[in-house]
Amino acid sequence: MARVELHWNPLDPDDPGPCIDVTITNSSDVIAAGRAVGLEYPNPIPMRALLDTGASVTVISKVYANHCKLFPTNEGTEITAIGASHRCGEHAGCVSFPGTGLRSFDSIRIISAVFMQQRHYAILIGRDILRNWVITFDGRSKRVTILD
Amino acid sequence: MPNEGLFSAELNLFEQHRQEWSRSNLGRFVAIQDSVILEGFFSTYAEALRAGLQRFGVRRPFLVKQIWTTEPVYLVS
Repeated sequence: MARVELHWNPLDPDDPGPCIDVTITNSSDVIAAGRAVGLEYPNPIPMRALLDTGASVTVISKVYANHCKLFPTNEGTEITAIGASHRCGEHAGCVSFPGTGLRSFDSIRIISAVFMQQRHYAILIGRDILRNWVITFDGRSKRVTILD
Repeated sequence: MPNEGLFSAELNLFEQHRQEWSRSNLGRFVAIQDSVILEGFFSTYAEALRAGLQRFGVRRPFLVKQIWTTEPVYLVS
């Protein structure tokens, strides 16, 4: 069983919430099929991701989705945030958590959206992934613990 | 409203079948490229993706879509 501890100070206005290092790549199925016909894919790049219990799905910045060349599988998906709606793309991807022991989530659907001036993270880890973990927050020690 | 993007043909075809598929396969996934609907319905996104890759290959995108009566709006707060 993997156990990960993250720091989060909810009283710090510059602390966006519990963040974790991730890498995003195309799904292993897409990479295998692509390499079989001579296509190349970029190496995974490390990013910061916010654990977002308010997000029903996992969302990546459109800039990074394009950089990672994530395989598109839908468009026009509607997400709503604070009353505003956005039309987004969908992609097949793989989310990994290097150096943590947490298992990867491969061949999952990832929504891409425009992130407005977000400097802390490039991905929201939504409840489609969070539901697989036991997550606790100790407010006194300002620690978030993930058990996989 | 007609779709006009990368998956416009696939989404328009999906809309033609939405009611029929909603009655028989609500919540399952389909894979479509151009006017070709992959045979069968799939329990998971990953299964539909794999089947689509086997049938359509990876050089051109194909639609992978879950069947709902109306399109869900995902909340991000």
